[in-house]
Amino acid sequence: MAFNYDKYLRLEKMPTLWCWGCGDGVILKAFIRAVDKMGWSQDDVCVVSGIGCSGRFSSYVDFNTIHTTHGRTVAFATGVKLANPDKHVICVGGDGDALAIGGNHTIHGCRRNIDINFIVINNFIYGLTNSQTSPTTPQGMWTVSQKAGNIDPTFDACDLAIASGASFVAREKITEPRKLEKIFIKGFQHRGFSFFDVISNCHINLGRKNKMASAMENLEWIDNITMPKAKYDKLSEEEQLNLFPTGVLKHDENAREYCDMYEDIKAAQQGKRGVITQDEFEKKI
Amino acid sequence: MSKMVAPENTPVWVDESRCKACDMCVDVCPAGVLSMRAEPSSTLGAMIDIVALEACIGCNECELACPDFAIYVAEKSEYKFAKLTDESKARAEAIINNNYRLPENYGK
Amino acid sequence: MELREIISTGNDLNAIAAVDAGCEFFGGYPITPSSEVMHTISDLLPAAGGAAIQMEDEIAGIAATAGAAMAGVRAMTATSGPGVSLKAENLGLAQMAEVPLVLVNVMRGGPSTGLPTRVSQGDVRQARNPSHGDYRSITLCAGNLAECYTEVVRAFNLADRFMQPVIVLTDETIGHMHGKAMIPTVEEVKKGIVPRKTFDGPAEEYFPYECGPTEPATLNPMFKGYRYHFTGLHHDKKGFPTEEIETCRKLIQRLEDKVMMHTDEIELNEEFMMDDLTGEEGEVLIIAYGSVSLAAKEAIRHLRADGIKAGLFRPITLWPSPADTIKKHTDKIKNVLCVELNIRQYTEEVERVSGRLDIEGLYKVNGRALSPYEIVEKVKEVF
Repeated sequence: MAFNYDKYLRLEKMPTLWCWGCGDGVILKAFIRAVDKMGWSQDDVCVVSGIGCSGRFSSYVDFNTIHTTHGRTVAFATGVKLANPDKHVICVGGDGDALAIGGNHTIHGCRRNIDINFIVINNFIYGLTNSQTSPTTPQGMWTVSQKAGNIDPTFDACDLAIASGASFVAREKITEPRKLEKIFIKGFQHRGFSFFDVISNCHINLGRKNKMASAMENLEWIDNITMPKAKYDKLSEEEQLNLFPTGVLKHDENAREYCDMYEDIKAAQQGKRGVITQDEFEKKI
Repeated sequence: MSKMVAPENTPVWVDESRCKACDMCVDVCPAGVLSMRAEPSSTLGAMIDIVALEACIGCNECELACPDFAIYVAEKSEYKFAKLTDESKARAEAIINNNYRLPENYGK
Repeated sequence: MELREIISTGNDLNAIAAVDAGCEFFGGYPITPSSEVMHTISDLLPAAGGAAIQMEDEIAGIAATAGAAMAGVRAMTATSGPGVSLKAENLGLAQMAEVPLVLVNVMRGGPSTGLPTRVSQGDVRQARNPSHGDYRSITLCAGNLAECYTEVVRAFNLADRFMQPVIVLTDETIGHMHGKAMIPTVEEVKKGIVPRKTFDGPAEEYFPYECGPTEPATLNPMFKGYRYHFTGLHHDKKGFPTEEIETCRKLIQRLEDKVMMHTDEIELNEEFMMDDLTGEEGEVLIIAYGSVSLAAKEAIRHLRADGIKAGLFRPITLWPSPADTIKKHTDKIKNVLCVELNIRQYTEEVERVSGRLDIEGLYKVNGRALSPYEIVEKVKEVF
């Protein structure tokens, strides 16, 4: 189907500054298709991005866009959303932006369950600044800040999001653009914090020094370290090591969204209802 | 949905001004429709080339894999796509094994 | 100007002023001695239909505030010295992208954790350049309870006029001071609200960052049909990143000139008992601001009773400094004493603009307030 992306692009900014074969472009396209299928007016959408290659995302799309300081996307987006609860806010950040310097804001965006969609483009490296270790860089890989081999352990971004309280958590990869578009749509439809861990390739700044110089080798590696959740769940714990489950990992439709809860505060302060008490919440500690 | 009309009687078409010669579309095409050709004036000295237009099966994998909005596929209602044949599959394999370029004199 | 009487604290007055001035968003974080601003506004703002949120850290506080301001509403945050240090990077983004917001800094003893519950004026120099790079800070300093209200109102109007953050300095003494203040009525404040300029024409003709060389950007609120880009990178007239030589030069020069070419709209001073200072021998000019000015005024009454003709020059807008006005006075009056709860932070500015290196100073940095007695003694000692 010949989808017309131009409607959603700032054409005067094309071509993108991303390297040839960079997954960022594939994610951008899946994102645009998802927004189009949601039927949102471009005026009702705000895209907030951070610093890094993924940070350039916001300048390419024709929405209300903000390019923030490193790691602070979710915090800026919280201000935009709380001041405009009925508009659609999407954050885009890399693994460094979202999980290192922005880790705290990611945690609390999840915790508040505010209706923001957070696309984390996880390519396991700091790409734009040329190959420094990120919180998801596999141990033993060569990075420019650890040339003798990365010793930093990693963590699972989706585990972090789930533990922090996000009510929609999903993981997909760029080798499955149709599935990626589907989980974007599911997450956008969900009222609450939607966290997407999108596994992507950086052959220029991760692959080249780690025996995966071509984009295709990186994509093959991505396919080897991911597995759909249903199949993953059937593996033993040992087999699950070094594998990421993909698909929707959490979808809690009952969790109350932050802006909706804030309406209760407004009502209470305006005398339209009583003070909010512990009895109104399921989890009381 | 935001759609664009396909050029007449065309299953797949490219916008060469946007192509960065990343090889992705060639890598995912199952029918050997696409290849890279030498093009000194462009990025990486290569450019996307449609080498077997009539063999296109309309699977849309190339469009989904392209990061740069450079390749488009018609809708099933706009064009009667071919079926995937062994010949197409063989050509695709030959292209991929030859560093994403259709070997010279292939099929001749 | 219609006034009304209110009994409150400085911190509470900051919050009340914000809501009266049309603030719709507050993104804060607790820090002594400013927390009460957040406590009070967290009740008043939702009651007025706005949103106040305690964020997870100081940086998130300014980020959420800036985000709301980018979306188009009047937004404020409040903190103390250590918080301003943390917020510095995003204050820079707000300067660069021309985002209007109000930052209240209730100053306490520094540096670092310092003296959290005690007074100082140690953040004056920081307020001039909290973040890196070239830009001009607009910093106001409340010198009494009423100004905790009126200066916040003025700050919102200045922020919208100049499209940048405006810092309002108060200090622990005034922030926690509880007393009576005569402040404008809500109607007066509403009459005086001057919101940011907006563009009404067709969206294709809208270039937010295209403006005269001494004018601020025209940033329409989001979600109204005008889509553009905010970034901390150098940017072109539509807000997109660029490195083009002339565009970059013009942008930085405009950030400077939009403030410095319009200081008449920003300058505000109080000249207390200065009418009869003519430059004669023995006259004393005291320069002080903030809570110190309360002690200075009392000291001047004592000095005059002792036969010393003294007057107080009190800058209310600290940055940009009222350079010409200060020079006019320091050219005339020989004995000048700067009094501040820091070491020479504003004295150095006075020296710079006056061209004089013989300015006397009284400095106190142990977290305690200055009494009028100490100022009287100092004047008698040095002059």
